Amino acid sequence: MKYLFTICLTTFALLSFQTLNAQKTFGTRNGQIIFQSPTDQDVKAINNEVNSRLSDNGSLSFSLLIKSFRFKMAEMQDHFNTEYLHSNQFPRGDFKGTITNIKTVNFNQDGIYPVEVTGDLTLHGVTKKVSSKGSITIKNGKPLAKASFPIIVKDFGIKAEDVTEKVTITVNCQYQ
Amino acid sequence: MKKWLKFLLVAGGIGLLAGLALLYWIFNKPHRDVSKEKGIQLTSQQLFEAFRKDEAVANGLYLDKAIELSGTVAEVSTNQEGQKVVNFSTDDPFFTINCTFKTDPGNLQPGDSIVFKGICTGYIPDASVVINEGVLIK
Repeated sequence: MKYLFTICLTTFALLSFQTLNAQKTFGTRNGQIIFQSPTDQDVKAINNEVNSRLSDNGSLSFSLLIKSFRFKMAEMQDHFNTEYLHSNQFPRGDFKGTITNIKTVNFNQDGIYPVEVTGDLTLHGVTKKVSSKGSITIKNGKPLAKASFPIIVKDFGIKAEDVTEKVTITVNCQYQ
Repeated sequence: MKKWLKFLLVAGGIGLLAGLALLYWIFNKPHRDVSKEKGIQLTSQQLFEAFRKDEAVANGLYLDKAIELSGTVAEVSTNQEGQKVVNFSTDDPFFTINCTFKTDPGNLQPGDSIVFKGICTGYIPDASVVINEGVLIK
Protein backbone atom coordinates (compact mmCIF):
# COMPACT_ATOMS: atom_id res chain seq x y z
CA MET A 1 0.00 0.00 0.00
CA LYS A 2 2.80 2.34 1.00
CA TYR A 3 4.61 1.43 -2.22
CA LEU A 4 1.51 2.19 -4.33
CA PHE A 5 1.05 5.55 -2.56
CA THR A 6 4.67 6.53 -3.31
CA ILE A 7 4.21 5.65 -7.01
CA CYS A 8 0.99 7.72 -7.22
CA LEU A 9 2.63 10.68 -5.48
CA THR A 10 5.71 10.54 -7.75
CA THR A 11 3.52 10.30 -10.90
CA PHE A 12 1.45 13.30 -9.74
CA ALA A 13 4.58 15.33 -8.99
CA LEU A 14 6.08 14.52 -12.39
CA LEU A 15 2.85 15.40 -14.22
CA SER A 16 2.54 18.70 -12.30
CA PHE A 17 6.15 19.55 -13.08
CA GLN A 18 5.56 18.79 -16.76
CA THR A 19 2.46 21.02 -16.80
CA LEU A 20 4.34 23.83 -15.09
CA ASN A 21 7.28 23.35 -17.38
CA ALA A 22 5.05 23.42 -20.46
CA GLN A 23 3.53 26.81 -19.60
CA LYS A 24 5.35 29.69 -21.25
CA THR A 25 5.15 33.22 -19.88
CA PHE A 26 6.30 36.34 -21.70
CA GLY A 27 6.92 39.65 -19.98
CA THR A 28 7.81 43.27 -20.48
CA ARG A 29 8.51 46.21 -18.18
CA ASN A 30 8.29 48.69 -21.03
CA GLY A 31 5.04 48.02 -22.82
CA GLN A 32 3.05 50.93 -24.21
CA ILE A 33 -0.48 52.06 -23.32
CA ILE A 34 -2.08 55.21 -24.72
CA PHE A 35 -5.08 57.09 -23.31
CA GLN A 36 -6.73 59.31 -25.90
CA SER A 37 -9.91 61.31 -26.13
CA PRO A 38 -11.86 60.29 -29.25
CA THR A 39 -13.07 63.88 -29.65
CA ASP A 40 -9.86 65.86 -29.04
CA GLN A 41 -6.56 64.71 -30.57
CA ASP A 42 -4.59 66.91 -28.14
CA VAL A 43 -5.88 64.95 -25.16
CA LYS A 44 -3.42 62.11 -25.52
CA ALA A 45 -1.19 60.49 -22.90
CA ILE A 46 1.48 57.85 -23.52
CA ASN A 47 2.88 55.44 -20.95
CA ASN A 48 5.99 53.52 -22.02
CA GLU A 49 6.64 51.82 -18.67
CA VAL A 50 3.81 49.30 -18.57
CA ASN A 51 4.57 46.05 -16.79
CA SER A 52 2.78 43.17 -18.48
CA ARG A 53 2.76 39.38 -18.46
CA LEU A 54 1.23 37.11 -21.06
CA SER A 55 1.05 33.33 -20.65
CA ASP A 56 0.33 30.86 -23.39
CA ASN A 57 -2.51 29.53 -21.22
CA GLY A 58 -4.30 32.86 -21.90
CA SER A 59 -3.72 34.78 -18.68
CA LEU A 60 -2.85 38.42 -19.28
CA SER A 61 -2.02 41.22 -16.86
CA PHE A 62 -0.99 44.86 -17.05
CA SER A 63 0.18 47.16 -14.32
CA LEU A 64 1.06 50.81 -14.85
CA LEU A 65 1.80 53.97 -12.92
CA ILE A 66 -0.46 56.95 -13.54
CA LYS A 67 2.48 59.36 -13.07
CA SER A 68 4.29 57.62 -15.94
CA PHE A 69 1.82 59.04 -18.49
CA ARG A 70 3.35 61.80 -20.61
CA PHE A 71 1.35 64.51 -22.39
CA LYS A 72 2.61 66.87 -25.05
CA MET A 73 1.44 69.78 -22.87
CA ALA A 74 2.88 69.94 -19.36
CA GLU A 75 -0.17 71.78 -17.99
CA MET A 76 -2.48 69.02 -19.25
CA GLN A 77 -0.25 66.43 -17.57
CA ASP A 78 -0.50 68.28 -14.25
CA HIS A 79 -4.31 68.45 -14.49
CA PHE A 80 -4.50 64.74 -15.44
CA ASN A 81 -2.60 63.80 -12.27
CA THR A 82 -3.99 66.25 -9.76
CA GLU A 83 -7.59 66.93 -10.84
CA TYR A 84 -8.76 63.87 -12.77
CA LEU A 85 -6.82 60.69 -11.91
CA HIS A 86 -5.65 61.81 -8.41
CA SER A 87 -2.40 59.91 -8.88
CA ASN A 88 -1.10 60.50 -5.35
CA GLN A 89 -4.15 58.71 -3.94
CA PHE A 90 -4.44 56.10 -6.73
CA PRO A 91 -0.91 55.66 -8.08
CA ARG A 92 -1.53 52.55 -10.20
CA GLY A 93 -3.86 51.14 -12.83
CA ASP A 94 -4.20 47.38 -13.30
CA PHE A 95 -5.77 44.88 -15.62
CA LYS A 96 -6.09 41.17 -14.92
CA GLY A 97 -7.82 39.01 -17.47
CA THR A 98 -7.75 36.21 -19.98
CA ILE A 99 -7.62 35.75 -23.71
CA THR A 100 -10.75 33.68 -24.20
CA ASN A 101 -9.71 32.17 -27.55
CA ILE A 102 -6.04 31.52 -26.67
CA LYS A 103 -6.20 28.07 -28.29
CA THR A 104 -6.29 29.76 -31.71
CA VAL A 105 -2.86 31.36 -31.06
CA ASN A 106 0.13 29.26 -32.08
CA PHE A 107 3.06 30.71 -30.13
CA ASN A 108 5.47 28.57 -32.16
CA GLN A 109 4.43 29.89 -35.55
CA ASP A 110 4.87 33.45 -36.84
CA GLY A 111 1.60 35.14 -37.74
CA ILE A 112 -1.14 37.56 -36.68
CA TYR A 113 -3.84 36.00 -34.51
CA PRO A 114 -7.11 37.82 -33.70
CA VAL A 115 -7.93 37.53 -29.99
CA GLU A 116 -10.70 38.38 -27.57
CA VAL A 117 -9.79 39.60 -24.11
CA THR A 118 -11.95 39.94 -21.03
CA GLY A 119 -11.02 40.92 -17.50
CA ASP A 120 -11.05 43.42 -14.65
CA LEU A 121 -9.72 46.92 -15.16
CA THR A 122 -8.89 48.95 -12.06
CA LEU A 123 -8.49 52.68 -12.48
CA HIS A 124 -8.89 55.52 -9.98
CA GLY A 125 -9.65 52.87 -7.31
CA VAL A 126 -12.66 51.49 -9.23
CA THR A 127 -12.73 48.01 -10.78
CA LYS A 128 -14.91 47.26 -13.83
CA LYS A 129 -15.25 44.35 -16.22
CA VAL A 130 -14.02 45.18 -19.71
CA SER A 131 -13.83 43.23 -22.98
CA SER A 132 -11.93 43.97 -26.14
CA LYS A 133 -10.92 42.52 -29.45
CA GLY A 134 -7.26 42.68 -30.37
CA SER A 135 -4.43 40.74 -31.90
CA ILE A 136 -1.33 38.78 -30.95
CA THR A 137 1.44 38.95 -33.51
CA ILE A 138 4.12 36.27 -33.22
CA LYS A 139 7.45 37.16 -34.79
CA ASN A 140 10.60 35.14 -34.13
CA GLY A 141 8.88 33.49 -31.19
CA LYS A 142 8.10 36.81 -29.46
CA PRO A 143 4.52 38.08 -29.09
CA LEU A 144 3.26 41.62 -29.69
CA ALA A 145 -0.17 42.34 -28.16
CA LYS A 146 -2.44 45.02 -29.61
CA ALA A 147 -5.93 46.08 -28.55
CA SER A 148 -8.04 49.20 -28.45
CA PHE A 149 -11.23 49.77 -26.47
CA PRO A 150 -13.24 52.70 -25.09
CA ILE A 151 -14.09 53.38 -21.46
CA ILE A 152 -16.53 55.90 -20.03
CA VAL A 153 -14.51 57.90 -17.53
CA LYS A 154 -17.37 58.51 -15.06
CA ASP A 155 -17.74 54.70 -14.70
CA PHE A 156 -14.40 54.88 -12.91
CA GLY A 157 -15.41 57.83 -10.74
CA ILE A 158 -13.31 60.23 -12.82
CA LYS A 159 -14.93 63.65 -13.17
CA ALA A 160 -13.57 64.88 -16.50
CA GLU A 161 -16.76 65.81 -18.38
CA ASP A 162 -15.28 69.24 -19.13
CA VAL A 163 -12.51 67.55 -21.15
CA THR A 164 -13.91 64.25 -22.39
CA GLU A 165 -16.59 61.68 -21.55
CA LYS A 166 -14.85 58.72 -23.17
CA VAL A 167 -11.23 57.64 -23.39
CA THR A 168 -9.86 55.14 -25.88
CA ILE A 169 -7.29 52.85 -24.31
CA THR A 170 -4.78 51.50 -26.83
CA VAL A 171 -2.48 48.64 -25.84
CA ASN A 172 0.73 48.01 -27.75
CA CYS A 173 3.06 45.66 -25.87
CA GLN A 174 6.09 43.91 -27.29
CA TYR A 175 7.06 40.98 -25.06
CA GLN A 176 10.51 39.45 -24.63
CA MET B 1 -15.85 109.56 -24.53
CA LYS B 2 -17.70 108.98 -21.31
CA LYS B 3 -15.56 108.05 -18.32
CA TRP B 4 -17.39 104.78 -17.61
CA LEU B 5 -17.10 103.66 -21.25
CA LYS B 6 -13.37 104.42 -21.26
CA PHE B 7 -12.97 102.41 -18.05
CA LEU B 8 -14.93 99.51 -19.53
CA LEU B 9 -12.79 99.45 -22.68
CA VAL B 10 -9.51 99.56 -20.73
CA ALA B 11 -10.71 96.83 -18.31
CA GLY B 12 -11.91 94.70 -21.23
CA GLY B 13 -8.58 95.12 -23.01
CA ILE B 14 -6.62 94.14 -19.92
CA GLY B 15 -8.91 91.12 -19.42
CA LEU B 16 -8.43 90.03 -23.03
CA LEU B 17 -4.65 90.36 -22.79
CA ALA B 18 -4.60 88.42 -19.51
CA GLY B 19 -6.73 85.67 -21.08
CA LEU B 20 -4.42 85.43 -24.10
CA ALA B 21 -1.36 85.35 -21.83
CA LEU B 22 -2.94 82.55 -19.78
CA LEU B 23 -3.70 80.53 -22.91
CA TYR B 24 -0.16 81.05 -24.17
CA TRP B 25 1.22 79.87 -20.83
CA ILE B 26 -1.03 76.77 -20.80
CA PHE B 27 0.05 75.73 -24.29
CA ASN B 28 3.73 76.52 -23.81
CA LYS B 29 4.46 75.68 -20.18
CA PRO B 30 7.69 73.69 -20.32
CA HIS B 31 7.95 70.15 -18.99
CA ARG B 32 10.14 69.57 -15.94
CA ASP B 33 13.81 69.54 -16.78
CA VAL B 34 15.34 67.15 -14.27
CA SER B 35 18.88 68.13 -15.26
CA LYS B 36 18.29 71.51 -13.56
CA GLU B 37 16.97 69.94 -10.33
CA LYS B 38 18.92 68.73 -7.32
CA GLY B 39 18.33 65.00 -7.03
CA ILE B 40 18.00 62.84 -3.93
CA GLN B 41 21.11 60.64 -3.97
CA LEU B 42 20.42 56.91 -3.58
CA THR B 43 21.67 53.52 -4.71
CA SER B 44 19.27 51.22 -6.58
CA GLN B 45 19.23 48.87 -3.57
CA GLN B 46 18.35 51.72 -1.14
CA LEU B 47 15.44 52.82 -3.34
CA PHE B 48 14.14 49.27 -3.68
CA GLU B 49 14.45 48.64 0.10
CA ALA B 50 12.45 51.79 0.84
CA PHE B 51 9.51 50.71 -1.36
CA ARG B 52 9.68 47.06 -0.22
CA LYS B 53 9.57 48.13 3.43
CA ASP B 54 6.69 50.60 3.19
CA GLU B 55 5.26 51.83 -0.11
CA ALA B 56 3.25 54.68 1.43
CA VAL B 57 6.29 56.07 3.27
CA ALA B 58 8.50 55.66 0.19
CA ASN B 59 5.90 57.40 -1.98
CA GLY B 60 5.93 60.32 0.46
CA LEU B 61 9.73 60.53 0.23
CA TYR B 62 10.39 59.84 -3.45
CA LEU B 63 7.25 59.99 -5.63
CA ASP B 64 7.49 62.76 -8.25
CA LYS B 65 10.92 63.76 -6.89
CA ALA B 66 14.19 64.00 -8.80
CA ILE B 67 16.25 60.93 -7.90
CA GLU B 68 19.98 60.65 -8.54
CA LEU B 69 20.54 56.93 -8.69
CA SER B 70 23.89 55.20 -8.73
CA GLY B 71 24.34 51.56 -9.53
CA THR B 72 25.48 48.89 -11.92
CA VAL B 73 23.60 48.51 -15.18
CA ALA B 74 21.97 45.08 -15.39
CA GLU B 75 20.25 45.44 -18.74
CA VAL B 76 20.04 47.99 -21.56
CA SER B 77 17.12 48.11 -24.00
CA THR B 78 15.10 50.50 -26.15
CA ASN B 79 11.40 51.15 -25.56
CA GLN B 80 8.73 51.28 -28.28
CA GLU B 81 9.29 55.03 -28.72
CA GLY B 82 13.00 54.56 -29.29
CA GLN B 83 14.12 55.85 -25.88
CA LYS B 84 16.97 54.09 -24.11
CA VAL B 85 16.01 52.13 -20.96
CA VAL B 86 18.34 50.87 -18.28
CA ASN B 87 17.45 48.37 -15.58
CA PHE B 88 19.39 48.44 -12.33
CA SER B 89 19.42 45.18 -10.42
CA THR B 90 18.50 44.73 -6.75
CA ASP B 91 19.02 41.80 -4.38
CA ASP B 92 15.67 40.42 -5.62
CA PRO B 93 16.30 38.79 -9.02
CA PHE B 94 12.73 39.57 -10.16
CA PHE B 95 12.82 43.23 -9.17
CA THR B 96 14.59 46.08 -10.97
CA ILE B 97 14.75 49.86 -11.01
CA ASN B 98 13.45 50.68 -14.48
CA CYS B 99 14.96 53.93 -15.79
CA THR B 100 14.02 55.61 -19.07
CA PHE B 101 16.24 58.29 -20.59
CA LYS B 102 14.81 61.50 -22.02
CA THR B 103 18.03 62.14 -23.93
CA ASP B 104 20.26 59.51 -25.51
CA PRO B 105 23.03 58.59 -23.01
CA GLY B 106 25.21 57.08 -25.73
CA ASN B 107 26.66 53.62 -25.57
CA LEU B 108 25.86 51.84 -22.30
CA GLN B 109 26.61 48.21 -21.51
CA PRO B 110 25.51 45.80 -18.77
CA GLY B 111 28.08 45.99 -15.99
CA ASP B 112 28.72 49.74 -16.40
CA SER B 113 28.60 51.80 -13.21
CA ILE B 114 26.57 54.92 -13.88
CA VAL B 115 24.74 57.76 -12.15
CA PHE B 116 21.27 58.43 -13.57
CA LYS B 117 18.94 61.30 -12.64
CA GLY B 118 15.21 61.18 -13.35
CA ILE B 119 11.71 61.54 -11.90
CA CYS B 120 10.34 58.70 -9.77
CA THR B 121 6.83 57.77 -10.93
CA GLY B 122 6.23 55.00 -8.41
CA TYR B 123 6.32 51.33 -7.51
CA ILE B 124 4.87 48.31 -9.31
CA PRO B 125 4.84 45.40 -6.80
CA ASP B 126 6.89 42.34 -7.80
CA ALA B 127 8.30 44.20 -10.81
CA SER B 128 10.01 47.58 -10.52
CA VAL B 129 10.38 51.10 -9.25
CA VAL B 130 10.00 53.35 -12.29
CA ILE B 131 12.05 56.47 -12.99
CA ASN B 132 11.65 58.35 -16.26
CA GLU B 133 12.52 61.62 -18.03
CA GLY B 134 16.10 60.83 -17.06
CA VAL B 135 19.57 62.03 -17.96
CA LEU B 136 23.01 60.50 -17.52
CA ILE B 137 25.07 62.27 -14.87
CA LYS B 138 28.22 60.13 -15.20
